[in-house]
Amino acid sequence: MNVSLQWLGDHVDFSEYSIPQLDELLTFAGIEVEGIESLPDHLVVAQILSSEKHPDAEKLSVCQVDDGSGKPRQIVCGAKNYQVGDKVPLALPGCVLDAGEGKTFEIKEGKLRGVDSLGMMCSAKELGLAADADGLLILSPDLKAGTPMAEVYPAVFELEITPNRPDCLSHLGVARELAALAKKPLKGRAHFGETNTPTRAAKADEVRLESEVCPYYTARIIRGVKVSESPAWLKQKLTSIGLRPINNLVDITNYVLMETGQPLHVFDLAKLEGGIVVRQAADGETFLALDEKEYALLAEDLVIADAKKAVAIGGVMGGEDSGVTETTTDVLLEAAYFNPQAVRRTGRRLGLHSDSSYRFERGVDPLQVAGVSEFATKLILDLAGGKADAELLVAGGAGEGPKPVALDNDYCRRIIGAEIPDATIDGILASLGLEKTGGAWKIPSFRLDLVRPIDLVEEVARVHGLDGIPATTMATFSPASKADEAYDFLRSLQGRLASLGFHEARNLKLISGAQLADDLATSHRGMSPVRLKNPLNDEQDYLRPGIVPGLLASASRNVRFGTSDLRLFEAGRVFVASPKGEEIEHEHLALLMTGARIHRSWADSKPKAIDLHDLRAALEAICPEGLNFVPVSDGKLLCACSVEIGSGKKAVKIGMAGIVPPARARELDLDAPVFVAELNLKKLMSVVKAEIRFADLPKFPGSSRDVAMLVPGDLAAGEVAAFFEAYDEPLLISAELFDVFTDPTGAKLAPDKKSLAYSILYRAPEKTLEAGEVEAAHGKLLDSLKRTFNVEFR
Amino acid sequence: MLAQLDTIQTEALAAIAGITDEASLEEVRIAFLGKKGSLTAAAAGMRDVPADQKKDVGQKLNEVREAITSALETTSADLTAKKDAAAFASIDPTLPSRPLPKGGLHPLSLVLDEAVKVLRRMGFALAEGPEIETEWHCFDALNTPADHPARNESDTFYFENGKLLRTHTSSVQIRTMEKEVPPVRIIAPGSAFRRDEIDATHLSAFHQLEGLYVDQRVTLADLKGTLEYFFREIFGSKTEFRFRPHFFPFTEPSFEVDIKLHAAGRPSKWIEIAGCGMVDPAVFSEVGRKRGDAAYDPDKVTGFAFGMGLDRLAMIMYGIPDLRLLIENDVRFLQQFRG
Repeated sequence: MNVSLQWLGDHVDFSEYSIPQLDELLTFAGIEVEGIESLPDHLVVAQILSSEKHPDAEKLSVCQVDDGSGKPRQIVCGAKNYQVGDKVPLALPGCVLDAGEGKTFEIKEGKLRGVDSLGMMCSAKELGLAADADGLLILSPDLKAGTPMAEVYPAVFELEITPNRPDCLSHLGVARELAALAKKPLKGRAHFGETNTPTRAAKADEVRLESEVCPYYTARIIRGVKVSESPAWLKQKLTSIGLRPINNLVDITNYVLMETGQPLHVFDLAKLEGGIVVRQAADGETFLALDEKEYALLAEDLVIADAKKAVAIGGVMGGEDSGVTETTTDVLLEAAYFNPQAVRRTGRRLGLHSDSSYRFERGVDPLQVAGVSEFATKLILDLAGGKADAELLVAGGAGEGPKPVALDNDYCRRIIGAEIPDATIDGILASLGLEKTGGAWKIPSFRLDLVRPIDLVEEVARVHGLDGIPATTMATFSPASKADEAYDFLRSLQGRLASLGFHEARNLKLISGAQLADDLATSHRGMSPVRLKNPLNDEQDYLRPGIVPGLLASASRNVRFGTSDLRLFEAGRVFVASPKGEEIEHEHLALLMTGARIHRSWADSKPKAIDLHDLRAALEAICPEGLNFVPVSDGKLLCACSVEIGSGKKAVKIGMAGIVPPARARELDLDAPVFVAELNLKKLMSVVKAEIRFADLPKFPGSSRDVAMLVPGDLAAGEVAAFFEAYDEPLLISAELFDVFTDPTGAKLAPDKKSLAYSILYRAPEKTLEAGEVEAAHGKLLDSLKRTFNVEFR
Repeated sequence: MLAQLDTIQTEALAAIAGITDEASLEEVRIAFLGKKGSLTAAAAGMRDVPADQKKDVGQKLNEVREAITSALETTSADLTAKKDAAAFASIDPTLPSRPLPKGGLHPLSLVLDEAVKVLRRMGFALAEGPEIETEWHCFDALNTPADHPARNESDTFYFENGKLLRTHTSSVQIRTMEKEVPPVRIIAPGSAFRRDEIDATHLSAFHQLEGLYVDQRVTLADLKGTLEYFFREIFGSKTEFRFRPHFFPFTEPSFEVDIKLHAAGRPSKWIEIAGCGMVDPAVFSEVGRKRGDAAYDPDKVTGFAFGMGLDRLAMIMYGIPDLRLLIENDVRFLQQFRG
């Protein structure tokens, strides 16, 4: 909402406040100042003394103007909308005007087509007072030449009023609030709760209320008005806050709205057929609104109608056909109260918002309706003439106003945590217009937000401010939660992965349907992805069921921008739905590696490409002992493996790993092989040993034997490893694979064979083994290997 | 004999002086100290030395052996030292390093970790809740009116079954109070979602850090003390900040916290950084209704809550101009935060 400083001055004298001081006053009232518009220096009121044709330009005129200095000033001007004698804004040399898009331009003395021009006469648009303008801004003839324009159009504050304070959606409301905070008197009345106009209950054929959405409706008939241009003061008030003057009747309703916060509407009485009926719309009823658009209504919408047709959407917008025109003479002035929820629902559904609906949605003060109607009627009679009916027609009732609220000052102190004296608390509430009567506070009718004791505490805290309240802390001990353990676990993984050369990525959790194909289905076989009902676009319509799709997109982006050696990881939440439709959330960790193992350098000008075993090494560095890659048949990855901790029946599956199908990788501009793994963090955490126990160091040396064996080319090393793992020989400590050899040419080995060489360590805990004991154990092992895998030893 | 020994010593020392490498060292050693070496031969002549001279000659023999051995050892040590030096002489210590892959944490993780460290020192424990939430947890229980604009499908992501993507981490307040009895002292970092088109200052998914403290006598002064400590720890002890009255449905009184940002060459300005307030009694009542007990009787407990945007915090702390950088994962961006 735009609030003019000059307009506020109608209510409170803020002359000794600077703009930054007012900014602060508003800010600490809880009213956010989103912007302050003020006119620049070197901009004055000037009177046009003469105007002659430019000698060399059809469209330009050469004007002599009075800038208040006593000496005429020559200005070349392109506008045509003025007459000699008019007063207009004049930018003098040195004046800096806003050129839009954050740019400014400075006015300088210059020549236009060879004729001296010592400044610029301005339009409303050039001063930022209107979005567009036709020619110069013609000012009130009462202004004195030379008056700074900043006095004519003082600063305008763009305010954001929080939804709990609809009473501040007007100049009077803001002035009332600031007066309370600045401890200053209001010049005039604080609200429109009283009226001297007699009221009369409307007859059914005058005003009939048929809907609970409008509990209170008033109408004032005024006959013989003359629709014309508004006086300069009124036009200036409206333009100062960015409203466009239209005619005296419309301008009065807009002015009263901005002054009091009470929306009004003026109907042309001649265009109404019969009395006013406030009713729900009929399903499918159409309505041509003032914005010249046709709206299809539903039964939930409220309309103001005459006997035949709807003439307004209640609280939102009037109709094109029943509005005031130049020929209007008799009018019906509507002032009413509409249910906020209903106005909001209709406005939102129709996408139709107005200054009126904005206020009804937030809540207006029903008790001011009659008073504001009287105020507006007086303005109409003053500015448009005519004669008003003696009585205000009323249907329904305005209610009783807010109920008193009792506040225990100890409760107030207990919430705030400071020893604020009773006198201070009472003083703050009284300054806001509350009255202590008996044991409770009487609430002003415009403060719809003050209902409970805590609402009064808020007022005390707000006005008192936090500066006067001590900063205390009541630290208590908190036992570590499951979330703490998970956080610390992840934090250590993040640190380890960073040390291994991985950069942490964070992708949006919303992905496209196409990206679902990249998911590894790590911990959710049989589950389905979760789709949004109202996505922003089809690039972000699913919640990610895994992290790899996002990491692939990140890798693709990096490669396109020239970084092709990549190690990325990401941890975070993933989402799936069970067959029953229940959403399940998991925490996952995913790794991606592609490109060279290290960056090319003088030390290694042809670094090796990353392979699946590098990925496994990275996983081993962050997982407990006993990590295995168990090949599975999975269509999504090449060399798809289940990542498991431990083997046999005790194996715990913690995730998936493999190679992204090169065809898919190439689609993403990833030409080098891409290796990915995704783990379920909860499962990973479950296999981390809770307790670490020291084991005795071996006291006696061990003895090792190397064995190289020829096996079928398709025998997985994992099978041999599993054999060693399961082999029952107390002396066998370890078997390390130290060589894998194949020869596709067949020269040294048959092409369908490969050679695996292991270093096998034997050791006894209580003595140094003798050669014979080692040989015996080793011989048994070789026999067993031969029986199991049909190997040949080399 | 003594003269002969002198001669051997002179010859040996001269030969040692001429040694240039390990091989000639060994030759010289053998020539004088080897089995057939001249000193060895001279020593063998001891048996022919008259008894009264044996002592002197023996002593001389030892002296000569000692002198030769010592000279050989010195020369050998010199040779080794020269060889060692030569072995590393070709190294250029100014060459760039042999690279290791370098990684690092995402700036949001760094900011979060800073915040978590400070808040843990103050006795807060972590808490979490689902990101796919019920409308009750996200709005109703947080005292949000049924027709509040935040509930619009234009502002919030919904699912066909009526659930939604939480619009703030404040739902974790409710999740925690459902399970735990006071005192509750938690922080909940996590994702929140709003149906915003992505641009430099908006993401459809962003990160928040929520805090909640509920006990018998929690006050606004405690809230002030907690956040003052927090922001001074994060931004430095001289940080200027202000508590500006505001409105949230689930706290009353409510404040926004601004900190004053000083950027070189620009006028300093207030930047909104957190929202906070005292838990509205209506929130306790609704939690109590759901729990079916009096653990959160609004007449007995009070509490404060705060929430802040971690993305915004990261932008301020690191001077990041565009939120989209936080989700693009460009390594050239990420590697700036290795710290």
